[in-house]
Amino acid sequence: MTDLVVNNVQKWLGGVQILSGASFVAEKGRIVALLGASGSGKTTLLRCIAGLEQPELGIIRIGGTTVLDDKAGVALPPEQRQIGLVFQSYALWPHRTVFDNVAYGLKLRNVPAGEIKAKVEAILEKLGLAHLAARYPDQLSGGQQQRVAICRALVYEPKVLLLDEPLSNLDAKLREEARFWIRKLILDLKICAIMVTHDQAEALAIADQVLLLKGGSIVQSGTPLEIYSKPETFYAADFMGTNNVLSGRLVRTSGHSDMIDCAGLSLAGIWRDREPPADANSVRAVIRMEAISVSPEPSPESAPFDVEGCIYLGEKWEYRLKRGDLRLRAQGHEPLGAAIAHCRIPASATWLYNP
Amino acid sequence: MSLAAQAPRFRATVILTLFAMVAAPAALIIYQSFLSAPFFDEAARPSLEAYQFILTDPEFYRALWTTTLYAVGMVVVAVPLGGLLAFLITRTDLKGRRWLEPLVLVPMFLSSIVLAFGYTVAVGPSGFVTIAFRSVFGAAPWSIYTLPGIILIGGLSHVPTVYLYVASAMRRLPSDLEEAARTAGASVWRVSLDVTLPMVLPALVFSAALNLLLGFETFGIPLVLGDPNGILVLTTYIYKVNTIFGAPTYQVMAAVTVFLILITLPLVFIQRRLLRHARRFAAVGGKGARTNLLKLGAAGQVIALSIIGLWLLVSVVLPVGGIILRAFVENWGEGIRLSEQLTLANFQRVFELPSLSRGIVNTILLAAIGGAVAVAFYLVVGLAGHRNHGRTGTLLDYSVLVPRALPGLIVGLAFFWLFLFVPFLVPLRTTLFSLLIAYIIVGLSYGLRIIQATLLQVAPELEESARTAGADTFRTWRDVVIPLVRPGLAGAWAMIMIVFLREYATGVYLMSAGTEVIGSLMVSLLTSGAMDQIAALSFISILLTAVGLTLALRLGAKIHD
Repeated sequence: MTDLVVNNVQKWLGGVQILSGASFVAEKGRIVALLGASGSGKTTLLRCIAGLEQPELGIIRIGGTTVLDDKAGVALPPEQRQIGLVFQSYALWPHRTVFDNVAYGLKLRNVPAGEIKAKVEAILEKLGLAHLAARYPDQLSGGQQQRVAICRALVYEPKVLLLDEPLSNLDAKLREEARFWIRKLILDLKICAIMVTHDQAEALAIADQVLLLKGGSIVQSGTPLEIYSKPETFYAADFMGTNNVLSGRLVRTSGHSDMIDCAGLSLAGIWRDREPPADANSVRAVIRMEAISVSPEPSPESAPFDVEGCIYLGEKWEYRLKRGDLRLRAQGHEPLGAAIAHCRIPASATWLYNP
Repeated sequence: MSLAAQAPRFRATVILTLFAMVAAPAALIIYQSFLSAPFFDEAARPSLEAYQFILTDPEFYRALWTTTLYAVGMVVVAVPLGGLLAFLITRTDLKGRRWLEPLVLVPMFLSSIVLAFGYTVAVGPSGFVTIAFRSVFGAAPWSIYTLPGIILIGGLSHVPTVYLYVASAMRRLPSDLEEAARTAGASVWRVSLDVTLPMVLPALVFSAALNLLLGFETFGIPLVLGDPNGILVLTTYIYKVNTIFGAPTYQVMAAVTVFLILITLPLVFIQRRLLRHARRFAAVGGKGARTNLLKLGAAGQVIALSIIGLWLLVSVVLPVGGIILRAFVENWGEGIRLSEQLTLANFQRVFELPSLSRGIVNTILLAAIGGAVAVAFYLVVGLAGHRNHGRTGTLLDYSVLVPRALPGLIVGLAFFWLFLFVPFLVPLRTTLFSLLIAYIIVGLSYGLRIIQATLLQVAPELEESARTAGADTFRTWRDVVIPLVRPGLAGAWAMIMIVFLREYATGVYLMSAGTEVIGSLMVSLLTSGAMDQIAALSFISILLTAVGLTLALRLGAKIHD
């Protein structure tokens, strides 16, 4: 069942368009990540869904209710949208205890006191916070505050749960844990969740669907696997992962795969852009760092490179390679001893795009 | 349009009401200035007579010139001195700077009529110090009833205003800016000159503009000290115009006020722009603990403490000491031992006269209860303007500026007229309510600034999270905003209480039998020369202010935002 419909939402701020026609739908029991660099409009889009910002154009429906429709003049205030929002700063009310923070949404919905108590205790219990109910927010650790914020947004069973960079204020260890349990919690509760993040690993780990935003519009949407392994534009390809980006000339021969000529090296590749090539003299190749195999020995289809340096990163080594003006980054499990290394770059991993 | 535009009807109602409250007196004054007689007179016709009169009256030109000299002179005295005190207390290792700071602020909390009276009894022609000095040296080489004397006293008493702005700018200055200059090779004094001074320049300029405005609106000091020699400024000219004509000449008073507004309104606008500029400068700041205080050295300590001590002696000890002494004696002069003259007779007389004892009670009521009502009112206005970026928010911004351009004397006069003739207000004129309304308008910009600063401390997400949890705007204010600002409200109440305690000009025309207040009583007693009662009232006023200030500090009031 479709719980959230966002259709062609556009917003301007002082003459600058910060959302240029974002559209997507989200379903119950699924997590959608709004992924993008800072300034891509992802937080603005989330705040528009929440009703904290007012877009000039567009339609938003939450749980079958139209909460925004510029043509019909509908713009429900946030309190009438049946949403829960987890703020980046958590925004726990400092003058209320954990219990009262969580209970507030139920109180506003005129739930009887006994039921409030039961519901709040149940959700605190579920998130392992039951023993903290009487504390004030400033007596909690960051991780505990985050869980209270999630309880507060979930307890009244909103149609849509909105999370604004929910993990950014946690330290690295806690963040990896939180990715897991937040996903599990949302799937358990079978609600629709929208999460804003700038961290691709976070988006890939938590979401069922990732929307990549750029300049206020969605450049690509898909499952984490699709977004990572089948990017359809140069921006999407370059945004995800750690990449080698090469510029060159496209050589197309019938019957063969496409080739890119860059700085004297010809690489076989595949055209991945959703548009046909605009200018064959100027195309880009994106090669994920992990797709390049490096070995001291030459092999068929390999090319020799000068080794500029090896960097130890703990679980792996990063190689800096050079051939004429061409520079590559690759990785492996051992340092390279010789001055020359041989790289094999598979055609299937050389993705060609319009710049 | 963002979330701010919620609850628009409430916001519009409140802001339009406030606008009416500030616009009505201003409009009435302008209207009155173009009439040939009081506006309630049948014979009143549109006319420029009032303007013709003042523009041909040499007294008016003299008052205008005196006011300008006074305002400029005050700036010249107060700004360098206030800046120097701020520098010494915030940026050097001056001994005792911790307890010097509250002392430096004292003159700001006293009404200027009390201060001026204090100077009269201390260093006036027959003041205690003057007489003592004369008995030792044969003559006292000063006269405070001259324009330079008045300017000096006005300037000294406004040092705290400068001090507050400059000191807070100096404290906000991020220390890494100065440390960067130190590491680049600049000496400590060099840094003060090349980094600190330019960084606090906006605050200095702003406080200069503020004092210029206060100078043009000044009333108490020239009234007490200028009157004996017939030195008039614009406000005292307005006050005295009745005496000159022997009958109320509202149109002339209004016309002079219009002139005054023509001077003050641009000043208010300039200040508004300067403040924005100053904030932009200050916004750079982190607030790292300041490790490097300037070392003054032994000689430096002596010089610095002497400067501050001398200023404190002249600005605090002389007037306050004079009043305390004068309140307990009736006779003094050369050869009279004051210790044998101590008496409570002055207070007895004050308590015997019903109008005076009523004045004390009324003052306390207005300050304590009226102050609380005012804070509630400012809170409602503050909420109406809170995160309101719409048209009503802009209207509120400008509405607040209007009373700043009007001296309290004029606001009181305009409300007096309104309460005389607006049908539903008439029965309220002889109650304290009429004074309260005028006080609320006079204190509007100060009070609202405190409230707005407090409201802005509530992080927007705390309000937004209440909204997304299902609370509407009012519910959010009730459940989140107001509980969070409650401690700030108590402090604001104490500060407003002090402002209302020291107010004297607003009640001059507005008070009637039964609604006397201490400050305005002193203004009217000045005419009759009842110095004994004035001394006792001044003493009581100082006492009440001290109580208010203690309460304010207890409640954690911020003296400045």
